[in-house]
Amino acid sequence: MSRRALLLGTAGVLAMPRLAVAAPADEPPSLKSAVEAGDMPPMRDRLPLVPRVVDFEQRGKAEGRHGGRLSMLMSDAKDIRMMTIYGYSRMVGFDEKLDLVADILLDYQVEEGRIFTFRLRPGHRWSDGHPFTAEDFRYTWEDVENDEALSRGGVSAVMLVDGEPPVFEVVDDLTVRYTWPRPNPQFLPSLAGASPNYIAQPAHYLKQFHAKYAAAEDLERLVAENNSRDWVALHTVKARAYRPENPDLPTLEPWMNTTPPPAERYIFKRNPYFHRVDPSGRQLPYVDEVYFGISSADIIPAKTGSGDSDLQARYLRFDNYTFLKQGAAAHDFDVRLWKDGTGSQVAYVPNLNVNDPVWRALFHDVRFRRALSLAVHREEINQQFYFGLANPAANCVLPGSPLYKPEYEQAWAAYDPDRANALLDEIGLERGRYGWRHLPDGRRAELIIELAGGNEESDVTQLVVEYWGKLGLRVFPRSMQLDNMRRRFLSGDTMMSVWSGLNIGYATPDMPPEELAPVSSVQGSWPKWGQFLETGGMAGEKIELPEVQRLADLFQQWRVSSDTAERRAIWHQMLSIFTDQVFTIGTINGALQPVVVRNSLRNVPDKGIYAFSPVAYFGVYMPDTFWFDRE
Amino acid sequence: MLRYIAYRLLAAIPTLLLISALVFFIIELPPGDYFETYVAELQAQGETVDPQKIEYLKQEYGFDKPLIERYFTWVGGMLQGDFGYSFEYELPVSEVVGNRLWLTVLVSTVTIIFTWLIAFPIGIYSATHQYSWGDYGLTFLGLLGLATPNFLLALILLYLFNVWFGMSIGHLMDAEFIDQPMSWAKFVSMVEHMIIPVIVISTAGTAGMIRRLRANLLDELQKQYVVTARAKGVPPMKALIKYPLRMSLNFFIADIGSILPAVISGAEVVAIVLSLETTGPLLIRALQSQDMYLAGSFLMFLATLTVIGVLISDIALALLDPRIRLQGGRRR
Repeated sequence: MSRRALLLGTAGVLAMPRLAVAAPADEPPSLKSAVEAGDMPPMRDRLPLVPRVVDFEQRGKAEGRHGGRLSMLMSDAKDIRMMTIYGYSRMVGFDEKLDLVADILLDYQVEEGRIFTFRLRPGHRWSDGHPFTAEDFRYTWEDVENDEALSRGGVSAVMLVDGEPPVFEVVDDLTVRYTWPRPNPQFLPSLAGASPNYIAQPAHYLKQFHAKYAAAEDLERLVAENNSRDWVALHTVKARAYRPENPDLPTLEPWMNTTPPPAERYIFKRNPYFHRVDPSGRQLPYVDEVYFGISSADIIPAKTGSGDSDLQARYLRFDNYTFLKQGAAAHDFDVRLWKDGTGSQVAYVPNLNVNDPVWRALFHDVRFRRALSLAVHREEINQQFYFGLANPAANCVLPGSPLYKPEYEQAWAAYDPDRANALLDEIGLERGRYGWRHLPDGRRAELIIELAGGNEESDVTQLVVEYWGKLGLRVFPRSMQLDNMRRRFLSGDTMMSVWSGLNIGYATPDMPPEELAPVSSVQGSWPKWGQFLETGGMAGEKIELPEVQRLADLFQQWRVSSDTAERRAIWHQMLSIFTDQVFTIGTINGALQPVVVRNSLRNVPDKGIYAFSPVAYFGVYMPDTFWFDRE
Repeated sequence: MLRYIAYRLLAAIPTLLLISALVFFIIELPPGDYFETYVAELQAQGETVDPQKIEYLKQEYGFDKPLIERYFTWVGGMLQGDFGYSFEYELPVSEVVGNRLWLTVLVSTVTIIFTWLIAFPIGIYSATHQYSWGDYGLTFLGLLGLATPNFLLALILLYLFNVWFGMSIGHLMDAEFIDQPMSWAKFVSMVEHMIIPVIVISTAGTAGMIRRLRANLLDELQKQYVVTARAKGVPPMKALIKYPLRMSLNFFIADIGSILPAVISGAEVVAIVLSLETTGPLLIRALQSQDMYLAGSFLMFLATLTVIGVLISDIALALLDPRIRLQGGRRR
C-alpha cells in the first residue's frame, strides 16, 4: 500500500473529491529536478487532498506563473518576523473584506460562541513533509501551554475566559475541539492576528527538545550543542514561529527561512507543501524566494528609490513620496498610495492618571478635553503636512470599517476656538495679565507634551502648540526615548503623550475593542487603571471616572458575548462614549502610505490598507499570489 | 625593558577590572532594561506582547537578581570566554560580533593607510614650504574635510555615486555577493563600495594629522643640527628624512594606542549612514536598546585593545626616541 493510500484510509475521507480543480497543473519549475530525482513527491502528493483554492476572480487577481525572487529591505534582525506577517498563513484569517475565513483549517464550527470545532485538511503537511494532524494541537496545548516549565506564567490570557482554560479534545486525527464554559469571542481573532496565537506547533520536530519525550542523554547533548541553559530555553528558542529564526522549524507558511541569524540577508524559500492553489491548480506561492536585505532604516528610502527593493512599504513615509516618484521611471517601479490604517496619524493622549492633582482634575473634566480638541485646526494640519490628501477627524475607526459612523469622526473635531475658549472660561481657568490662563491653584497653566516619535509627530506638535497657545495654555513639547516615555506615564509623571491613534482603524465587531477600554498598563490615557484590571487589582489604581468604568464594563461584556450582533452593539456604545468623551485628541486619519512595487510584479492591489492589524500589512492581500511577469 | 613590560601587564589587570565595573554600571544607569525597550518598540507599531512572557524572559536572563550578582556573573563569564547573551539577536554575543569583525578590520585598516598616504606627503610639503600657496591650499583642503560633517559628506557621495556610476547604495558589497565565496566580481564590488567610506572617514582624520606633522616638523627644521647638516652640504632630502622627520614622528607612534580600538570600532556614525556591515552600528544599536551584554562586551573589548595599544606605543616610542627613558615605577 502506498503512503498516499494509507493516508487516505486513516483520514477516512475516501469519499471526498480528490482535488477541487480538474486539470493537473504544472510543477513549480524550481522543484522539478527534485521531484524528477525522486527527492520530493510530485505536487499532487504534496498538496492537501483539499487544498485551499484562492478565489482569484473575487479578489480581482490574475493567474500567474512560478518563479523569481522578491527582494525587500528590512532594518534589523528582529524584522524577520515580517515574513510571518506578510505570509499570513493562519488557522483562520481575514480576507480583504475583513471577514474570517478558514485558511489552514478545512473548516471550523462555533457553537454558542464557546465550542470551537476545527477540522484539518486531510493530507496537509508541514514544510518538511511530515503530516499535520490533531497531535500538533494536542502537543501545543498539553505539553507546551500547560507545561509548568515551558509556560511558567501559565496559559496565555486569550485562552482564558474568566480565568478558566478550555477543555481540549482530540475528536479524531483531523478534528480538535476547544470548549469553554462561557463564550470566547477573542479566540478566532487571536488566531487570525498579524501576530497569531499559535495553537499548533510541529510536535514531531519539537518533541526532541521536550523533557517529557526526549531521552535524557540526547536532550543533554542537544542543550550542550546549542549553548542553551536547559531544555526549557532550548525548546523556547527552537519553537519560535513568529520570529522564524530557526531554519529547521517546520512551518505552514508560504515561505520558510533558510538563513540562521545573524545575517545581512535572509533568504526564504518556497514551502513545497503549502496548502493554497490558484484556480488552475498551480501550487502557491508563485514566487520561489523572498530576500530580506538588512539595511539601516535611514537609507531604506534611498535604496528603494534606486531600485533595490521589489516591494516596499515598511520604513517609507509619505514625505518620501516625491523622491520615490523621481526614481520610478529610471528604476522600473511604481509608487502606489495605500491608506494608513491607524485611527489617527498623530493623536494627543492626556494622561488621566497624572500625579499632579490639579491637572488630574482638569483632565478628568470632559469640557477641558473637548476644548483641546475643538482648538485643533485639523484642516490646516492636513494641508501643511499631507498635501490635503488625508482626512481631518477625531481618533476613531475609519471609513471602510463596518463600525464607521460619521458622528464618531466628527465628534468635537470641528475647528471652533471660540467655543473652546468659552469652555475653558466655564471651567474657571482665568486669564492672567499676559493672556495666559492660570490653574485654580494659581499656577500658570503649563502643559508638557511628551513625544518619542519621528519628524511627523514633532512637526504636527509645533502647530498644536500654537493652537493651544491661543487658548491661553503654555505648551512645551519634550522629546524623549520611547521606553522612557512609557515608564513615565505609568509612574504618573507624564501629563500628555503623543502616539498614533487606534491601531485597528479598520475594526470589525469581532475584533476585541481593547484599545477603547482600560485593559493594560501600556495605554497612555489610563495606564494605572489599565494596570489595575490587568493585574486583577494587585497594582495600579481603581477607575475613578464613571465613563471609563462604563467602557471597562462594556469590554467585559464583549469578552463574553456570543454573537456578532451583540458585539456590534457593544462596539458602537464604546465608540460613542470614547469619541464623545474625547479621551484622545485625534488630528487626521487616512494618511497615505507609499508602496513601491516593481513594474513586473503582478497582483499587488493598487489600493489597500496599510496596517499591522487586522490586515497584517501585505498579509491579507496574499503575497503568495504575487508573481513576476517577465515580458 | 622586560621588567617594565611585566609591570605594565600586571597593572593592566586592575585597570580592566575597574573599567568593567564602570562599563557595567554605566550601562545599567538609565532606568529600565532591554525588555522594557522592547515592549515599548512593539507597542509603537501596534503589536502587543504578553506581559507574562516578558516576566518570564526577565527571569530567564536573571534580571530579577541584584545588580552586583549580575555583574559578577558577567565578568566571570568573560574570563571563561563567554561574553553573555544578546537579547536583541537572541544569540550569544560572540556569534553576533564574530561575522562583522573582519569586515570592520578591513575597512579601518584601508582607511588608516589611506589617511597616512594623504597626510604624510601633505604634512611634509606644508612644513618645508611654509606659508606658500601650496601650504595654504592643501591645509585648507584638509580643514575642509575636517569641518564637513561626516554623515553629510557620506550622504552626498552616496547620492552622486548612485547617479553617476549606478552604484548600489550603502553596504560593503552588492547584495548578490553576500554569503558568496570570494571571487573576482565580489572583490571588485567590495572595492567599489569601500571608496565612499574610506574617503569620508579619512578626510576627517587627515587635517589633524597634517597639522601635527607640520608643526612638529617645523620645530625640528629650525634646530641647529638641521641647519648644520644643510650647511655642510647634506642632500636636502636626506637632511629632511634622516633625522627631522624621524624626530617629528613621536605623535604618530603615540597614536597607535588609539588606533587599535579604532580598527575594531570603525567610524560609527558613517557606518550607520552607509549601512556598513561593521561593528560600529552594532554597538550603537546595542546601547540604544540596552542590550547590555552585547554593549558591555564590546566596550570591554575596546578597553582591552586600548590598554594593549598604549603599551605598544610606549615601547615603540622608547625604541624610536632614545631621549625617552623607561622608568616605570622608579622615580626620585
